[in-house]
Amino acid sequence: MKRRIWLRTAETTDKMTTEMATKAWDAFASGKWQETIDVRDFIQKNYRPYDGDDSFLTPATERTLKLWQQADELMQRQVRERSVDVATDRFSGIDAFEAGYLDRENELIVGFQTDKPLRRMMNPYGGFRMVENALAAYNLTIDPQLAKSFKEYRKTHNQGVFDAYTKPMRLARSAGLITGLPDAYGRGRIIGDYRRVPLYGVDRLIEVKQEELAAETGPASEERIRLREELSEQLRALEAMKKMAYRYGFDIGRPAETAQEAVQWLYFGYLAAIKENNGAAMSLGRNTTFLDIYLQRDLDHGLLTEEGAQELIDQLVIKLRMVRHLRTPEYDELFAGDPTWVTESLGGMGEDGRTLVTPTTYRFLHTLTNLNPSPEPNMTVLWSEELPRDFKEYCARLSLETGSLQYENDDLMRDIYGDDYAIACCVSAMRVGKEMQFFGARANLAKALLYAINGGRDELVRDKKTGQPLQVLTGIKPLTGDLLDYDQVAGNFRLVMTKLAELYVDTMNTIHYMHDKYAYEAGQMALHDAHVHRYMAFGIAGLSIVADSLSALRYAEVKAIRNAEGIATDFVITGEFPKFGNDDDRVDDLAVEVVRFFSAELKKHEAYRGAEQTLSVLTITSNVVYGKKTGSTPDGRKCGEPFAPGANPMHGRDVSGVIASLNSVAKLPYCHVCQDGISNTLTVVPATLGKNDENRKHNLAGILDGYFRQDAFHLNVNVLERQLLQDAMENPERYPNLTIRVSGYAVRFNQLSREQQLEVIKRTFHQRV
Amino acid sequence: MTGNIHSIETMGLMDGPGVRTVFFLQGCPLRCAYCHNPDTLPLTSDTAQVMTPEEILAVAKRQKNYFGQEGGITFTGGEPLQQSPFLVQCLRLLKQEDIHTAVDTSGIGPSRYWPEILKLTDTLLLDVKAFDAEGFQDLTGGSFETFLRFTTAIRSHQFSGNIWVRHVMVPGYTDNEADMERLAELILPLGFLIDRIEILPYHTMGREKYRQLGLSYRLDEVPPMDQARAKEFERLANRLFIQKLPHAPHANAHVLYRAAALAAQTEVTPANPDKEVTAAMSSEAPLSFRADSIDTSVYLREGIDLRQLPLLRHLSVSQFHELANSVEVRRVKKGEYIFRSGDPCSVLYIVCEGQFKILTYTPDGREQIMYIYSPGDFVGGFNLLKSQKYLYFGQALEDGIICTMSKEFFDKACLQNPNILRQILEKAYDRLRWAEELITRLSSSNASMKVAELLTQLADRRGVETPDGIRIDLTLTREEMGSFAGMTRETITRKLGEFKDLGYIDYTSNRTIYIQDKQALKDYFLGC
Repeated sequence: MKRRIWLRTAETTDKMTTEMATKAWDAFASGKWQETIDVRDFIQKNYRPYDGDDSFLTPATERTLKLWQQADELMQRQVRERSVDVATDRFSGIDAFEAGYLDRENELIVGFQTDKPLRRMMNPYGGFRMVENALAAYNLTIDPQLAKSFKEYRKTHNQGVFDAYTKPMRLARSAGLITGLPDAYGRGRIIGDYRRVPLYGVDRLIEVKQEELAAETGPASEERIRLREELSEQLRALEAMKKMAYRYGFDIGRPAETAQEAVQWLYFGYLAAIKENNGAAMSLGRNTTFLDIYLQRDLDHGLLTEEGAQELIDQLVIKLRMVRHLRTPEYDELFAGDPTWVTESLGGMGEDGRTLVTPTTYRFLHTLTNLNPSPEPNMTVLWSEELPRDFKEYCARLSLETGSLQYENDDLMRDIYGDDYAIACCVSAMRVGKEMQFFGARANLAKALLYAINGGRDELVRDKKTGQPLQVLTGIKPLTGDLLDYDQVAGNFRLVMTKLAELYVDTMNTIHYMHDKYAYEAGQMALHDAHVHRYMAFGIAGLSIVADSLSALRYAEVKAIRNAEGIATDFVITGEFPKFGNDDDRVDDLAVEVVRFFSAELKKHEAYRGAEQTLSVLTITSNVVYGKKTGSTPDGRKCGEPFAPGANPMHGRDVSGVIASLNSVAKLPYCHVCQDGISNTLTVVPATLGKNDENRKHNLAGILDGYFRQDAFHLNVNVLERQLLQDAMENPERYPNLTIRVSGYAVRFNQLSREQQLEVIKRTFHQRV
Repeated sequence: MTGNIHSIETMGLMDGPGVRTVFFLQGCPLRCAYCHNPDTLPLTSDTAQVMTPEEILAVAKRQKNYFGQEGGITFTGGEPLQQSPFLVQCLRLLKQEDIHTAVDTSGIGPSRYWPEILKLTDTLLLDVKAFDAEGFQDLTGGSFETFLRFTTAIRSHQFSGNIWVRHVMVPGYTDNEADMERLAELILPLGFLIDRIEILPYHTMGREKYRQLGLSYRLDEVPPMDQARAKEFERLANRLFIQKLPHAPHANAHVLYRAAALAAQTEVTPANPDKEVTAAMSSEAPLSFRADSIDTSVYLREGIDLRQLPLLRHLSVSQFHELANSVEVRRVKKGEYIFRSGDPCSVLYIVCEGQFKILTYTPDGREQIMYIYSPGDFVGGFNLLKSQKYLYFGQALEDGIICTMSKEFFDKACLQNPNILRQILEKAYDRLRWAEELITRLSSSNASMKVAELLTQLADRRGVETPDGIRIDLTLTREEMGSFAGMTRETITRKLGEFKDLGYIDYTSNRTIYIQDKQALKDYFLGC
C-alpha cells in the first residue's frame, strides 16, 4: 500500500491546508463554517432535504454481503461459544494497536479497535479490578509484567474515587440505593463531533486547538489549569488519531475529498474514541445529513452510483456492529447482550422548518434490511409531527419488520438544544461538539420508599459486622403502626429524597472529578469546542412502583407486615386503587409530583464544574436486577420481582389499552425536570395494530404522532406475539436475529438472561380478543 | 343519566376507520352461538363501570390527539342500542366536539331512538348475523324482523354516514358462495351507503370465558374459521355486491356522455394530425421535447426544442425569429408555484418537463387538486383570451421545465393561427370533461367509489400494461391523491389498503400502483 507522508513541517501546513481544502470543499456552498469550526453551518448551507419514499434504495452489493457473512459468522460464533478474544499484552489507546482487517479485498471502510476483529482491549484506567475480573471470567490472564508495572506506577479512576468517598456514599452504594455508578468503569455518554474529522481534517483541528490553548490566559485558577492541561491532552490525542489512521494508509490530517473518505474519516474519529475509552455508551452522534452532502456530491459528479452509496453506509454499519468492550459478568447481568450503544440519531427537523431527512437517512436505516435486524447501531429516530409522511411510514414499517428502532420527540428537544443535537446512549440529548454529560446511573426510588417506612434501614442488606439491617440513611423516623398512613409515608419519603439527592450529587461530583483526573476522554473532547456546557445526568428506577404504592396508601388500606427487627417485609392491601398506566390523574399526578420534587432537590446542590443537573427515568435491562435487590413494596409487588422498565407502568397493570398507557407516561415532564429522558417501551401484538401491513404501518405512525403531540418524550416499539418470545426462549437457535427493544436500546432476544427473558414476556402485551 | 360500560379499549384499530377509542356497553338481547363476550350480555354487572355521557366525552377528549383525520369513538357491546337514551346523549356530546362516531350494532333496540342515533352516527358498523329469519333465529335466538326494520330505517331516515357491513363466518354455516350471494342481495337496498363488507372469521377464544362463567358453549365442536378462506369469501362478497349495484340514472347519463365524448373525439381527430395534443391527463408515454440534434439557437432553450411543443409546431421560422424574445424557458423546483390565485394572467405556460398540479383551496382550507398537467399541456390560454386573473394555483410536483409565452406572442402568433386555436378549443373541451368527472367523484360520499373512479381514470389515461397489471406511476403523494379524489390522506390510504386486500390493486412503494382487477374498480363507479 502506498504510504503517504503525514508528518509535515509547520511552514508547509498552512499552504497545504488551503490547497487541500480547495479540493475537499469543491462544489460546497461557502459560509462561516469555512472560517470557524461550525459543522452545523456547513450542513445548513449544503444539505438537500428529502421528502420522497424509499423506492430508490438498493440491495447490498456482493462484496458487502461477502464481508457481512464473515462478520456475522464471527459474531454469532462468539455468542454461541460464549468466548471472547482479548489482547492481553497491552492496554487500550488511540494508537496502541497495529491495523486490523477482516477481509481486505471486500472491506471498503477499514479499522478495528485492535489488530483483529472482535478482539477486545484491556482498558485499566477506569479500574484495574474490572479488567482482572473480566479476564478471570473467561479464564484469561494478563501479561504479568504488564499488570505489575501498571499497578506499581499508575493510579486508576476507581482508586481515586474510593480515596475520596465518604462513609454514607459507600453505604448507599453497597445497599444498592444508588447503583450502576461509573466509579469503576468508563462513564461514556460523550459524543465527539466525529464529523469535524472529514470536514476539516485533523491538521486544521490541531491548529484551532492550539489557538484555543493560547487563548487560555489569565489567573491560574484550578479550573483554568485543568482546562489547559486538558487541551494539551486533546492535542496529543489528535496527533495519535492521525498516526492511527496512518497505520491504515490514510492521511486524515487533510479534509476528506470523496464520499468514501468522508465515511472513512468519520469512522476513524469514532474509532479513536472507542480505542481510547470503554464507556458504557459510546454513541456516534447525528451524521447522516452530514454524510449525505458528500455522497450527493459524488453522485452528482458521476463518481458514485446509488449502489456505491449504499455500500459505503452498509460497510460503515458493519464496522459499528463489531464494536466490542471487555465487560465483567456483573455488567452483563445488568445490561444484557453486550450493548455498546452506538446510538445514531436520525431525521428530525431543522430550525428553519426544512426536514433533516436525506436519502442517507434512509440508507442508514436500510442496513436493517440489507444486513439484518440488529440492536447496534442503536437507531434513534428524532420524531417530529412535521417529518415527511413517507419517512414516518417507512420508519413505522421498519419497526414492524425489524423491531430495531426507537423514537424520541424532536419537537420537544429542538426547542431546547436546537437542531444539531444527538442522543447519547438511549435518551440523553446534547448539542454535538458543544455539550457533554457526566453520566450518573440511577437511584432506586422504590427502595427509597421502603427507607421512608423502615427509618432509613435497608430491607434486605445487613451490616456485615452487626448482622443488623444496614442503616443507610440517618435521621428518618421509622413508622411503627400496622396500618400505614399516606401522609406519614409521603412525608418521610420526601425527607428520604431530600437526603438522597444531596448524597447523590456529592457522590457524582466525586466520581467525575476523579474521572477527569485519571480517565480523561482526550480523543472525544478534542472533537468538542474548548468550552463545553456540561450536564450532570441523574436517574431514577422504580417510578411506577412508587406511584402505585403511594396510590395504594392513599386510596386503599395498606398494612405492613414486619419482622422481628421492625423491617416491613411485606404488605397487605385491602381495596382497589388507581394504577399508573391507565390515564388516571389520581395516580399519574403522584408520579409527576415525585419526579418534580426529586429533580428540584438535585438542583439545590452545586454540581462539579458548574454542570446542569438533569434526571432520567430509564433502566435499560437493569430493571430485573433492581427487582432482585428490592424487598416487597406497598403496591403489591413481591420481593425480588422485576421492576417495570424505565417509566413503564408495572407489568399487566395498564389495562385500559395502549393509548391510556401512553397517556400516563406522557404526563411526566421532560423540560427542566426529566430532561435526561423518559423511556417508555410499548409491546403490542401485530393484529392489534391493524388488519393489513399497510394499515399497521399507517396506524403506528398515527400513534407516534398522537403520543408525541402531547409532549411525550420517548417510545420503543415492539410489535410481536408473546408466543413468539416463548418459542424463542425454548428454541433460541431458531431465532438468531430476533431483536426486541428494551428500555432505551435493542437487544437480540437470545442474548438476554433467562430472568430477563421472562421479565420481557411478563410485560403487558397490548391486544384485544 | 349513566351508562353501564363493560370496558374501554383505548386503541381500537378494528372497529371503524382510523385509531379509535372503543366503549363496550353492557347488555344484549341476542344469544349468538359464537358470542365471545358473554360477560357483556347482562345489562348490569358488578364489574361494569358506571359512567355519565360527560365522562365518556372526557375520556374521548383525552384520546383526541391520536384520532388523526379518521379516528374517533366507537360504541359496541353487547348491543349498544340496548342503552339507547345513554347512547344518544353520548353521541350528541361527541358530535358537539366534532369527534367522529361509530356504532357497532345489529339494530336490535327500541325503534324510537333510531332516527336520532342514525343522525349522530358517522360510521355504522352493521352486524349482519344471518340472511333469513330461520338462520337468524337459530344462531341468535332473536328476531330477523327487527333487523330488517332497522335496515329500512337507515334509508328512510336518510342516514348520511357510511356503513361497514360485518358478518361473522362460522364454518359449516355461511362459508359458501350461495350465502355470499344472499348477503349481497340482503344488503343491496343500502346501496351506496355501504363503504365495505368485512367477513370476520369465527374464532374460539371465547370458549374459555364460557367455562369460567359456567355456561355451556354451543359451538364446542366447531373449529375456528380459516382466516385465508374467510378473506376469500370477503373478496367474493364485495365483488358480488358491487356487481349487483344498480346503475343509477345519472350513472347511465355518465356512460352515454362518455360515449358521446368518444364519438366527438373521433370526429376531431382526422382534422388533427397532432397526436401529442393530450387530454388533461395523457395516456401517452411521457413526452420529451428535448432537442435531439442541435439546430439553430432560436429554437433551443434549456435543451428544449420549442418547435416540438405541440402548441408551437405550426409556427413559421420567421415567427420564431420575430418572437424569440417573448418566449422564455426556465427550470422550476419541486414545490415552486408557477402562478397563484389572483395573479394577473400575462403569459401562457407550456409544460416541457415534469408534472404540475393545478389546485384551489376549499373554504375549510383543504387543498383540492383540479388537474395534473404533464409535458405538452398548457395553462393560461383561456385566461389570456379573456384577460382574466388566475383562479387557481399552479405548483410543480417535481423538478421540471416550463416554457412561458408573453401575451404579445400569444396575440400575434397564436390567435392568427387556426391550428393553435383549434388546439386551445380541444383542450377546453377536454378540461370540461375532466371537470365533470371530478364533480361526479367529489359529489359521491362513498369513499370506495371515489377511489375506484380515480384509479380507473388514472389507469385509462396514464397506465402502462405490464405482466403485473396496469402500472400507474404517481408523482402524487397520498395527501395529494386524497386531495385529487376529494378525501383525506388517511381515508385514501385506508381504501388503497382495502383494495389491495381485496386483490384489486397491488403496490410495494408509495409511488407505483398496479391495477390488477380493473373490472372490479369499474363496477364500483359504474354504479354511481
